[in-house]
Amino acid sequence: MQQEQAKQPQSLKWFYVISSVFLFTNTLSLSLQDNEGVFIRYWLPLLAWLGCVIVAYHFMQRRLANYDPLLLAIPMLLTGWGLIAIARLEPSFVLRQTLWMILATVAMLFFATTPYVLQWLRRYRYILLVGGLGLLLSTILLGQNPSQQPGTPQLWLHLGGIYFQPSEALKIILVGFLASYLSEQATILRHEHLGKRGQLLALSPRIAGPVLLMWGISIVILIWQRDLGTATLFFIVFLILLYVASGMGWIVLGGAVLVVLAGIIAYFAFDVVQTRVDIWLNPWPEADGRAYQIVQSLMAFASGSIFGQGIYQGAPTYIPVIHSDFIFAAIAEEWGLLGVLVTLSAFALLTIRSLRMAILLQKRPFYSLLATGLSLLLGIQSLLIMGGVLKIVPLTGVTLPFLSYGGSSLLASFIMIGLLLHISTKLDT
Amino acid sequence: METEVVLFTLRVVTGIALFTLFCGLIYFLWRDYQSAAIQVEAQRRIYGTLVALTNEDGSSRQEEQRYPLLMRTTIGRAPTNTVQVLDTFASAEHALIYLQQGQWWLEDRHSKNGTRLNGDDITEPVVITHGDIITVGNINFRLELNY
Repeated sequence: MQQEQAKQPQSLKWFYVISSVFLFTNTLSLSLQDNEGVFIRYWLPLLAWLGCVIVAYHFMQRRLANYDPLLLAIPMLLTGWGLIAIARLEPSFVLRQTLWMILATVAMLFFATTPYVLQWLRRYRYILLVGGLGLLLSTILLGQNPSQQPGTPQLWLHLGGIYFQPSEALKIILVGFLASYLSEQATILRHEHLGKRGQLLALSPRIAGPVLLMWGISIVILIWQRDLGTATLFFIVFLILLYVASGMGWIVLGGAVLVVLAGIIAYFAFDVVQTRVDIWLNPWPEADGRAYQIVQSLMAFASGSIFGQGIYQGAPTYIPVIHSDFIFAAIAEEWGLLGVLVTLSAFALLTIRSLRMAILLQKRPFYSLLATGLSLLLGIQSLLIMGGVLKIVPLTGVTLPFLSYGGSSLLASFIMIGLLLHISTKLDT
Repeated sequence: METEVVLFTLRVVTGIALFTLFCGLIYFLWRDYQSAAIQVEAQRRIYGTLVALTNEDGSSRQEEQRYPLLMRTTIGRAPTNTVQVLDTFASAEHALIYLQQGQWWLEDRHSKNGTRLNGDDITEPVVITHGDIITVGNINFRLELNY
């Protein structure tokens, strides 16, 4: 099948230029309104971002002939935007986030250009998975929360001043595992001539067993650790991936029923879930109590209107922990509907590009399934949190990829983008 | 007073930049949709016909039946093929005809009894053209291109 759509690495320069203009005007505006430590807080992150973009762009142009340029440009825009939002909301965190961004860019370039890196993911899948699960298990014993408050979920590992969330790494490893395992079973999963018997055969323990086991262990540990947002994400992504690999429509239907069932069980089993669902159904009676965060977030959206209040003009800091999960509300308040639309279409394009890649690579099931899984992780995670902030779905504590504050989340998202970039070079061969 | 003017200008520039980015992203979404639509169209387009000819022993259940020729046409006994061959000598997935760089190719998909082109067995993909006779099992097909 021929490719009509020629790769044009040159044509996206304007996108980088406009992104830079956008970030520059915002930084300038910020530094005019706030006179304290302007250089370190605002200009240094911008310079670091510019450096990352230039290095990444030229490195990719030189090393990879035909990568998908949008997969690089969009994450870079979102990350720079996130840096500015964090600098405006929590200035003390911005330098740390800048360092994470540099690290994440290096990791992305490594995963995008190193040959055979996808084969490692396939070959060492059990070692990687056991390692990832081990790290996750260790949070039960050694887990901490950077805020150091008792009663908060202890999902982080503390190592020499750096907090790391193992569930972020497990996301990539698990999708890699599922993709490689399911692609090996693709022939039997897709064996249409076997009819009904074949479908049952495909789901026999011998074939679906290892997948269900590994996924089950991950979910159990996550629920034990009260990391319910990531557990939900795994649940949904796993079901869709299984559907894509097997082509059996009832998996989606059954999965939807299961999600609702699990939600009902969790409602009665966990206080957190009960709170989240209650304030999702009706936040207004408790606007000063449990629902304070979500109500303030809705206020932020309302006051943002179409063009936003302008940077540093709104009052998004009324929302607790705005810089991580609720950063979308800050964007809505200070950049308005326009900012929200750009964020939404950026995530949509990122997901659609990767899914299209998966469709075009159908003859190579591992690449196809890996691209599907990674794009679903990014897409569904951003949908979950954007919907949660807008009170469309119950709030799940996941970060908004690229924009939110959070080192391990940024690193994981960039590694996913690196892998997707790597897969995108396989399109023409 | 001066700062306010500067700040307002900066806001306007920010808004324009955001709007341009939005238009760009929507343009890419639209272009992706268009090219996907073209690809789907190309796969559904009918380029010609495969006509089943009279069987060697004079009896064929598919005599003079006409099948559409797609960009990727599969021939075999299984019902999932584009052209289903109701013949016990045909394999489930027997042969494949596809369009590549303006030429039509015939490929045998490791069938038990082989595929023949104008009476000769084929071992590797070969270019075919209007009027060629393709034999799968006991059934002959004549290739008729539309252009």
